[in-house]
Amino acid sequence: MRRREYAFLVAPSVIVMFGLLVIPLVRTVQWSFQQVRYGQPGTFVGLDNYRSALTDPRFASAVVFTVVVTVAVVTVLVVGGYVLAVLVNGLVKVKPLVLGLLLVPYVVPGLIGGTMFGWLFNSNFGGIVNQVIAFFGLPEVLWFTSTWANRGLVAGAVIWGLLPFAMLVILAGLQSVPAELLEAARVDGAGTLRTHWSVIAPSIRGVVGFVTLISIMDVLRLFDQLIPLSPQAVQIGNESLVLYIYNRAFLDGGQQLGLGSAMNVLLIGLIVVMLLPFIRSTAREGRS
Amino acid sequence: MRAALHRPLPTSAGPRRARRAVALTAVGALALAGCGAGSRTGNENAAEVECAVEVSEPTTVNVLAYNSSAIDPFTDTMVNSCTQGDLTVEHEPIDFAGQVQRTTATLAGDEGTYDVIETYGYIIPQLGTEGSLQPLNEYVDQFGEEYGLGELNAGMLEAMTYEGDLYALPMQAQMFVMAYRADVFEEQGLEPPTTFAELKEVSQALQDSGEFQYPLALPWLASGDLATAYDAALGSLGVDYVDPETKTPNFDDPLAVTALEELKSLTPFMDPQVTTFDQPAVQQQMYNGDAAMAIMFSGRMSDLTVESNTEFAADFAFAPPPTVGDSGPQYSALSVDGWSIPTNTTVDPAVLFEVIASSVSQEASEASVPAAYPARDGVVTPDSGPYAEAAIDAIDNAPPAEPFPWTAPIANETLPVVAEVILGQTTPEEGAARMQEIATGVLAQY
Repeated sequence: MRRREYAFLVAPSVIVMFGLLVIPLVRTVQWSFQQVRYGQPGTFVGLDNYRSALTDPRFASAVVFTVVVTVAVVTVLVVGGYVLAVLVNGLVKVKPLVLGLLLVPYVVPGLIGGTMFGWLFNSNFGGIVNQVIAFFGLPEVLWFTSTWANRGLVAGAVIWGLLPFAMLVILAGLQSVPAELLEAARVDGAGTLRTHWSVIAPSIRGVVGFVTLISIMDVLRLFDQLIPLSPQAVQIGNESLVLYIYNRAFLDGGQQLGLGSAMNVLLIGLIVVMLLPFIRSTAREGRS
Repeated sequence: MRAALHRPLPTSAGPRRARRAVALTAVGALALAGCGAGSRTGNENAAEVECAVEVSEPTTVNVLAYNSSAIDPFTDTMVNSCTQGDLTVEHEPIDFAGQVQRTTATLAGDEGTYDVIETYGYIIPQLGTEGSLQPLNEYVDQFGEEYGLGELNAGMLEAMTYEGDLYALPMQAQMFVMAYRADVFEEQGLEPPTTFAELKEVSQALQDSGEFQYPLALPWLASGDLATAYDAALGSLGVDYVDPETKTPNFDDPLAVTALEELKSLTPFMDPQVTTFDQPAVQQQMYNGDAAMAIMFSGRMSDLTVESNTEFAADFAFAPPPTVGDSGPQYSALSVDGWSIPTNTTVDPAVLFEVIASSVSQEASEASVPAAYPARDGVVTPDSGPYAEAAIDAIDNAPPAEPFPWTAPIANETLPVVAEVILGQTTPEEGAARMQEIATGVLAQY
């Protein structure tokens, strides 16, 4: 392909990417040094917004909560997604039906999915899980106000929503493993676990890396599920970074757009730090 | 190559049936969460009224108003009656939090998204001070007779007025009303409580009866409703947030601590997760029969009497809310809702005024009963509905409003502290001291 043709073909994408990604990013960085209200030009305040964010104990708490939740949830997503993909891959006739059902939570918007998931634990709406707990005579669990119970609830909802994606991508990876490789492993006497650990997993390392990368990005931006599932997030220390930004910048008609932008820049920095190992390994694989 | 895509991986881990069972169990677990939701019935109180607004060119009026059974009749009347000829009135469903967000955004720029916005007395001084809303006095003079605006309640008009300018045409008022299970009260020989002391006695009696673990239901959502609850308790004790003469906060008044203590004293009788309950959640508690008493805004009462919502619809009775102390105003908040016209709208304000005036006509107001307490004098009588008598009593005995631009910011800023006190993370004394500090900081801007 000639250079001119190439440029002509990629130009629309470049323009769209520039308009939708670069300009907002530049504007976010610019606003992070200003005090900004809707519809008004910003006033330069230097590093005040960053100082305000970094000296707020809630910000530190939100960073810790977000990172811990991300590590825990992504681990479950990758391991659970792999196990589920193996199970689904073993199905024949019912595979399309099972896949269809498994994908339902993924296509439901996070806020709706979170609300639906919450009904399982909310006695006001039946609370099936609470009924089971009561049936076995176990003490009542305060899913919405107890810090760790609520963390489990939120993590469960996020996993419920994202597990289908992880499973689907890993399933595609499993189906691309050469049959000859598996046959060779079987001939060499490898058992199931050994085959998965030494043959299949290394073969789909790139796919697993991709799932991890996307999952980290998704969970670091945790917000939707917290709205219905953690109405008391601030008080019980379950405020994610994005929810913290929303609460500080926009809640109750707030107009702290400069402060929100500074926090977003810090969030972007955190995302880059957490994704760096995966980006490097993906780039290495791409080169090789 | 393509065949490999559909070839299952060879494993020796148990029969296929077992794997299928595990996979299907996983599906079942994921699908289970779709069970057991409640639902609300739609509003059917919109009226077809005279809306003789004429426009010279195709005009679209965008209305911002949150959805509730008390607001919907007026919004629906406006949309149904005024969409005619070249005039189109549009309204998209939204919740209250969404309305607050969009109000801020639409009023900020030189041009806004909305031409009519639903406002309330609490926020009028702030928006009036900012110059975001059009004063409506001249339009009242111009169209008052045509739309019978002289019959709008003077107190409600006053609630929408700041420094002599009317910034919203009142449509309805909401005040706290207590709903209780008359059948249970009769069975237990109880009377509706008139003070917090009685409220605790009645709650204790209901708890002791073994019928109700948590007999009392209040909307105390830590990120919103709790501010209104504290304001209601403080107001019932005769204390305002701020002394308007000296512009100093009153949280250093011992009664500010008392208000926190009194609220906290109700927690043993409520669901331990009460700080996550908004008004719809409290309604649900009553629908389910989990609670025997609830105190909410009157706009939420109508839903309790709808048979399709709850099997207890016929068992609910209504009373004015109790006082926190032995006497004085009731534990209540009076909220007047109305229609405002943003200054940044591009639509002719006279056209917009006629649209909003038609939605608060006599006919529209009558149609809104019993779901709402309309702003027109004489529309609500003790016979208007099951909770009308309680509402009339409550509106006369609510604490006076604080129509100042600092009221809303102080309520928002001090809310986390109130939540900490209720959750036991801070003592009432420490909480009040911190609230004094926060309010002093807010007042420095005025």
